[in-house]
Amino acid sequence: MMKHFVFFIISIHLAFCVFQEDHFYEELLLKPLPSGHVYSYFQFTTVWNTDYNSHKFDHSHLFPRSLGEVVGRFNIQELHISLTEGLWRHESWGYPVNDAPPGAEVWAWFRKDCEDVDKKWKELTAALSGLLCASLNFIDSSNSISPELSFRLSGADNLLNPLNHTHLRYATLPREIVCTENLTPWKKLLPCDSKKGLATLLNAGHIHNTNYHSLGIHLRQICKPDSNCEEPIIELTQTVSLVYDLVILESSTQDWSVRKLFGIGLGGSCPLAESSLVYLDVSSNQTGSPFLLTPEPHERVVSSKGGYTSEFAVFDIKKMGDKLFNIALTHEKPRIYHLNVPPVIYANRYIVGYGQEQGGIVTKLHNTHWAPITVIFLENIPWFVPIYFHTLKIRSGGKEIKPILKKFVPGKERIRPYYLEVVVELKPRSVTEISIEFDYMFLKWQEYPPDANHGFYVGSAVITALLPVARNFTGLPQEGSLFASSMNASRPSYLIQLRTEALIINLPTPDFSMPYNVICLACTVVALAFGPIHNITTKKLLMMKINNDKGIGGFIKRAKFALSKLKSKFQKNETTEETPNSCSCSETKNKDD
Amino acid sequence: MEVLVLLEYLVATVIRFWLSKSDYNKLIADRVEISTPLNSWKRVTEGAALYNVGTSPYLGDMFHDNPLWLVAFNWMLQNVPQYITYIFILSDMMTAHLLFLTAQKFVGNLLTRQINEQKNYAKVSRQLLVSPEDVRMAPIFVVTAYLFNPYTVLTCAAHATTVFANLFLAIMLYATVNGHILLCCTALALSAQQAMYTVILIVPVCMYLAQGKQNKTFYMAMIATTFSTILCGLIYLSYHIAGSWDFVYATYGFILTVPDLRPNIGLFWYFFTEMFEHFRVLFLCAFQMNAAVLYLGPLAFRLHAEPMLLSTSLITLIAIFKSYPSLGDVGFYLALLPMWKHLFHYMQQGFIVSCFFIITSVLGPTVWHLWIYNRSANANFYFGVTLAFATAQIFLVTDLLFAYIKREYAVMHGLPRTIDGKEAKLVLESSNF
Repeated sequence: MMKHFVFFIISIHLAFCVFQEDHFYEELLLKPLPSGHVYSYFQFTTVWNTDYNSHKFDHSHLFPRSLGEVVGRFNIQELHISLTEGLWRHESWGYPVNDAPPGAEVWAWFRKDCEDVDKKWKELTAALSGLLCASLNFIDSSNSISPELSFRLSGADNLLNPLNHTHLRYATLPREIVCTENLTPWKKLLPCDSKKGLATLLNAGHIHNTNYHSLGIHLRQICKPDSNCEEPIIELTQTVSLVYDLVILESSTQDWSVRKLFGIGLGGSCPLAESSLVYLDVSSNQTGSPFLLTPEPHERVVSSKGGYTSEFAVFDIKKMGDKLFNIALTHEKPRIYHLNVPPVIYANRYIVGYGQEQGGIVTKLHNTHWAPITVIFLENIPWFVPIYFHTLKIRSGGKEIKPILKKFVPGKERIRPYYLEVVVELKPRSVTEISIEFDYMFLKWQEYPPDANHGFYVGSAVITALLPVARNFTGLPQEGSLFASSMNASRPSYLIQLRTEALIINLPTPDFSMPYNVICLACTVVALAFGPIHNITTKKLLMMKINNDKGIGGFIKRAKFALSKLKSKFQKNETTEETPNSCSCSETKNKDD
Repeated sequence: MEVLVLLEYLVATVIRFWLSKSDYNKLIADRVEISTPLNSWKRVTEGAALYNVGTSPYLGDMFHDNPLWLVAFNWMLQNVPQYITYIFILSDMMTAHLLFLTAQKFVGNLLTRQINEQKNYAKVSRQLLVSPEDVRMAPIFVVTAYLFNPYTVLTCAAHATTVFANLFLAIMLYATVNGHILLCCTALALSAQQAMYTVILIVPVCMYLAQGKQNKTFYMAMIATTFSTILCGLIYLSYHIAGSWDFVYATYGFILTVPDLRPNIGLFWYFFTEMFEHFRVLFLCAFQMNAAVLYLGPLAFRLHAEPMLLSTSLITLIAIFKSYPSLGDVGFYLALLPMWKHLFHYMQQGFIVSCFFIITSVLGPTVWHLWIYNRSANANFYFGVTLAFATAQIFLVTDLLFAYIKREYAVMHGLPRTIDGKEAKLVLESSNF
């Protein structure tokens, strides 16, 4: 009876869904990485078949209303948030579906009719901070930039009247630490929360045990399928990227399963989801050590794009019913690790120089392709790391190369960060080095964080490129919403954006216990000048009789005087006098010939 | 004697040239004592680079020189980059020579005045008076003090723009003693464009030029008007070049509000690093007044008979108390001191001050290295050294002023300090007569 009742409720819901024209999809991609790590990528997509209108967000069905209100209120066209712990290692892991820098990253496009973008941006980050329990409220115009080239609308745009970069804001908080308190509100944005469906796998204990984890929220406008895009619709993608190190999980074997990774088996799909699929990349079964999959997948898909073929085993959770089940991967023989082929483009970045006076930031861009590749390099340097634009040098193979384009907006103390964007062509099979010098800045004592000697973070650089081949490429094509759309999606080029390491700079610190002493000492030195000059300018030199006072005081004075007279007689008839004037510092002794 | 002076110029040029071209050049240019945010050549290069790509350098934090300078430096960097060292050395030599000529003329004037006034003087011993020997030797001392002072040598080798600021001050002094009003006002206006504080030197300039004139007030007003016209003209020209008023905040605003707390030899950096936020404005006002206008009025009244000493002491006080002082400023006023050779008799703290100078010059870089590179010392060490350095300079300037008033007294009243045959003492009394 109960079962029937639930079914009834669900069917009403589904009917309502059709009426509401919004759809929810959940997907999970599992991919063994060549280094032995396992990459798992959750993607929860809500497509809302409606035009953009701020009142629309007052009534939502599957779309999270709390986020909708924020989007409607601040006139946002597109919003991307990522909260990441750890660093994605492109060199050994290839490219993720969505790249994210360590810490927090937010970028948003405001709509054409939005006035006073800076104010809206500040309010938006404050609202998002509350929504996600992250310190996004520290984002304001002093650490945000509007890059001209690196970021484009990832969704639909009005071709006749396109948005330009003045409506874009980009900021990172590299110091942000991502933890359970961010995961819980993130899960609350899902239609099924974490009660049903793939989201049940997201247990804080197992997620924060990974080498890399990244939460993402991406909102954009897309074209209605099979239409000429006159009325774009809304797409919200919530993602989680995790990289597990099997050695940490269980060192004895290379076999792994969903249960081993997430601590729990799969227990049915979210009833509100249109589809609930698990993709497992089994390409390495042909090239690497063979392994067995249990249970057998419902489907095997071979995807060939950009000259590279990969094979996926697809599990349809909807077909698996509600009982818990596990997807396991077992190796027959010990796994042999092959030589890792790094992706087409990867980068690393570090600080050069010693001491706390002058330093440099060096970024090395590796191009392993046989043809030259043009990349856009974006730096968002905080104002407390003042960089010298004229020291920007781009070298490759010992020779200096001229960039195609340079954009630079100098930063201003406490007001604006340094923004640098360089378009440069990387030579075939080369390492290109982009270096710039900076000064260590001295801040006011109250501007240092409580642990001042921990250092200050400088956010990642963003490298944007169009790859000619799809080696290690896992991203979705721009028009696609679901992972299925990336199957056999060959394109002339593949857009990737990769983020480098964040840096820590140790700025010189003052002595924090000294304010009173410093104020007193510096004022004393000023008084040392003020006193004598005041005396010189307001008083007059006068000859005064030395009065013979009565009493003990007078006696001492007379004795002193007699003594000095006696002394002076011994010193070749010089007379020495004493002026007891105490207010003049340098007037204590007068010598005369 | 001319041969000696020529030889000095030659040797000084060679030293500067060698330091500029040697590997030490970068090391010297990076010293915080020599290069401040206002005068560092690296920042000038940055400003010119931004100017060339069409970005206003005043948007950023790096460049704080005037648009006029921006254009001039940019021209130098674009057209004659290989001769920049020569331009700096040449400017420094010109400064030295102008100081030489200034000292010659000024001490000559002193002697003439002394001969005219000698009938009023008390019978004093010869060493208090300016002798013809002084007229010959003082300029040589001045030029030697400028050419071989390590502070000025290093400033020139570091290509700090203080070299040009000093040149304009030297032109100003030269024009003052020679009575060239227009040249004097132009040089001072150019100097004020860069350093700002020097604008107050218009007071001693007016006083000096108006000496012995019939209608003093009118004459002073005329000079002041000329100066302000030129200054306004230059500011307007700057505006025209920069295309907006942004430069005002980036140059004068930067000097006045002291946002850059990079250590230097002055008193501002640590004081405002450690300042409580709600007192910042109050102390900024107090310190800026102390550097610029506080001593102007009282000293102008006290030294009205000797405007040149007023100039010297104001230049010194500015060099001590300005927000971004550098060793180049110190070197400049030290070179002016031998003009006051006749006051040295009454100066008592020469030994202490020179010891302080030597010790702080050695200790400064040492504790800086310990703090910034070894991380074994902290900011307090360097702050202590800058405090001692400032104290030494203050002793020097107050000593000079005391020497002046004591000599003035002795010249008028005679050396023996007796009243009715009894021993007496000299005291500073606030009196109503």
